[in-house]
Amino acid sequence: MTDKVTLAMGAGGRQTAQLIDEVFAARFNSPLLTADDAAVLEPPRGRMAMSTDGFIVSPSFFAGGNIGKLSICGTVNDLACMGARPLYLTCGFVIEEGYPLDQLRQIADAMAATAAAAGVSLVAGDTKVAGKGQVDGVFITTTGVGEIVEGAAPAGAKARPGDAIIVTGDVGRHGCTILLARDEFGIEADVTSDCAPLWDSVEAMLGVTKDIHVIRDATRGGVGTVLYEIASQSGVGVRLDAAAVPVDPAVGGVCRMLGLEPLYLACEGRLVVIAPKEEAPALVEALRACPNSQGAAIIGEITDDRPGWVVMRTEIGSETLLPQPTGELLPRIC
Amino acid sequence: MSDATTTARQILATYDGPRLRIMEVCGTHTHENFRLGIRKLLPPQVDLISGPGCPVCVTPVGFIDEAIWLAEHGVTITTFGDLVRVPGTSKNLAAARADGARVQVVYSPLDALEYAKEHADEQVCFLSVGFETTVPAACLAVSQAHAEGVGNFSLLVANKTMPNAYAALKGSADVFLYPGHVHAITGTQLCEDLVEQGVSGVLAGFTAKELLTAMAVALSKAKEGKPFFVNAYPRVVKSEGTPAAVALIEQVMEPCDTEWRGLGVIPQSGLRLRDEYAAYDARKKHDMPVIEGHANPACRCGNVLRGEITPEQCPLFGKVCTPLHPVGACMVSGEGACSAFYQYGGNLS
Amino acid sequence: MCVGLSAKVVRIADGMAMVDASGAKREISVQLLDDVEPGDYVMVHAGIAIAKITDEDDHEADEVMEALLA
Repeated sequence: MTDKVTLAMGAGGRQTAQLIDEVFAARFNSPLLTADDAAVLEPPRGRMAMSTDGFIVSPSFFAGGNIGKLSICGTVNDLACMGARPLYLTCGFVIEEGYPLDQLRQIADAMAATAAAAGVSLVAGDTKVAGKGQVDGVFITTTGVGEIVEGAAPAGAKARPGDAIIVTGDVGRHGCTILLARDEFGIEADVTSDCAPLWDSVEAMLGVTKDIHVIRDATRGGVGTVLYEIASQSGVGVRLDAAAVPVDPAVGGVCRMLGLEPLYLACEGRLVVIAPKEEAPALVEALRACPNSQGAAIIGEITDDRPGWVVMRTEIGSETLLPQPTGELLPRIC
Repeated sequence: MSDATTTARQILATYDGPRLRIMEVCGTHTHENFRLGIRKLLPPQVDLISGPGCPVCVTPVGFIDEAIWLAEHGVTITTFGDLVRVPGTSKNLAAARADGARVQVVYSPLDALEYAKEHADEQVCFLSVGFETTVPAACLAVSQAHAEGVGNFSLLVANKTMPNAYAALKGSADVFLYPGHVHAITGTQLCEDLVEQGVSGVLAGFTAKELLTAMAVALSKAKEGKPFFVNAYPRVVKSEGTPAAVALIEQVMEPCDTEWRGLGVIPQSGLRLRDEYAAYDARKKHDMPVIEGHANPACRCGNVLRGEITPEQCPLFGKVCTPLHPVGACMVSGEGACSAFYQYGGNLS
Repeated sequence: MCVGLSAKVVRIADGMAMVDASGAKREISVQLLDDVEPGDYVMVHAGIAIAKITDEDDHEADEVMEALLA
């Protein structure tokens, strides 16, 4: 085998089989992984959740992970947000001609390790090779199926006035990591992505109570965007305590340098959880006992005031609206 | 909470003086006052007016059109992120980028120069907007390019200076909240001179404590009834400013008349490159034709900038003009008055 | 009009300084200021230091208030 991905490896012949066997199947090491046209699986016992997500990230390797880890976490976390234990995943790759095989192996390693940590089986895959310049490195799409824990039914429209808002750790680290990895602004900081699978954190919460109203993973657009989505879906107001939102000091430093707001930077391993206030302390305690949510904190509450808006209690105890997300994050000088 | 903050809030809460219009000259003050919720702490007879100190907001439409002309003629545009979504006559730089133009967001004009050095086969232009605080960085980039003989770098200049803007706006407010970082460069003499003319002001910093302190100073002094000037940001602003920065601006640029979006032409309130640096003037270097921009005639950014109306009184505000689809520049910049009103809800009181 | 960043100077060479703001580091120009040394604090705007400051703290506001009330 050469050390780079070639168009022939995507042509469906022997070289394709060799690529799949040597790079993917050898690593995914799942008895369920099919060599046929589709995986044949036992159905979940209860209700089932299903989700799909595409992953493009530049650069595909960053502090704390790579696109492979991200592609597993993203779909596992989407399932977990519905109270579903992730069971099966499929993965589709679109790889740019000339992509280093060594990096592809590292991506597959990360996928295997993350899937094992999340307790999910990779059951089917697809590999395509696109001509040089037609894609940027490697794109991955994963689709997952999960089994919903009986009694759990979190949904974006279920936030109720009086509920507490919990975030499962410090915000904005993934977005900040990618910004630094692109090295467009000459800034260095010791920041690693929060990218992590979160089923065990959700399972721990469901062990405390099934009465969790909303669980969302704060990916693109960050925690701020998720809070606006929930406020709108549930027709409620959100009151956020600025001082209670956990932010890593270096992430804060990068944001101050570029005039960005950490609440709008992407996370890949953080959930926003909305649950009855009286359950919140026990939920936070359960979350803090899990490795990927040790920094869990209560950051605010749901109100019936100003439906659709996020009101922030400021550092001086006054109030202001959290600005609504406006798309592309641009550093500002003024 | 510290003593200064508590005392300042008490002063704001118990103010029983006359009606007072305080102009936030600096857009970052507008932004921070909203972000911290300071407006909500002011007594009802005190109005905060957002002034002209957002460089993006006062940059005329034609400047964006000029930048797009350059981009469409193969020049790589380097710019602060603030300008990317500002509407030109027919499109903004983000749209030009989508159409294939090279638009590179930079943190500093010095980074733009670095980019030019690393891309010797490209012509690189930096969009030089901003006031006295930002001008020295641009001048430094030009003087370094000159010293090192970098031939593929230029500036499209729309820099502005404050003195004549203060003069043009002095009837619009009772107290200027002076921009701390402009005066970190230029010093405080101008503010002292304005007191002589009966114009009051407080020089303010940007933290919660500094802004509350500046407001408390403004309200206390206003009650005394005579013109005043207080430097409430002494840790950064010295009376002499930063002389080396002033000298550098003087060396590289010279005053000229310039158009402020919404305010019209204010004599000798702009800067342009001196003849010695003409090789770095993008307009000359690339033989740019005269380009006149056309703003949406219903946009009332100008009245907003003069403090004549609040953003909510503009017919476009929040309807056709929103941060996602800005019509006027005051809606584009995070520190623009319209954007701040929209994002932070001017009605949250 | 001008976002400023207070940061600590870590090292200096040839008019350029590495500054640190809560762990975020970047090279900036200190050519316009005299006598800047490692350990000093500066106010940074658009990649240049525009003023030397005592430290990151804004306690001077307390003194301004004291003077006002005196």
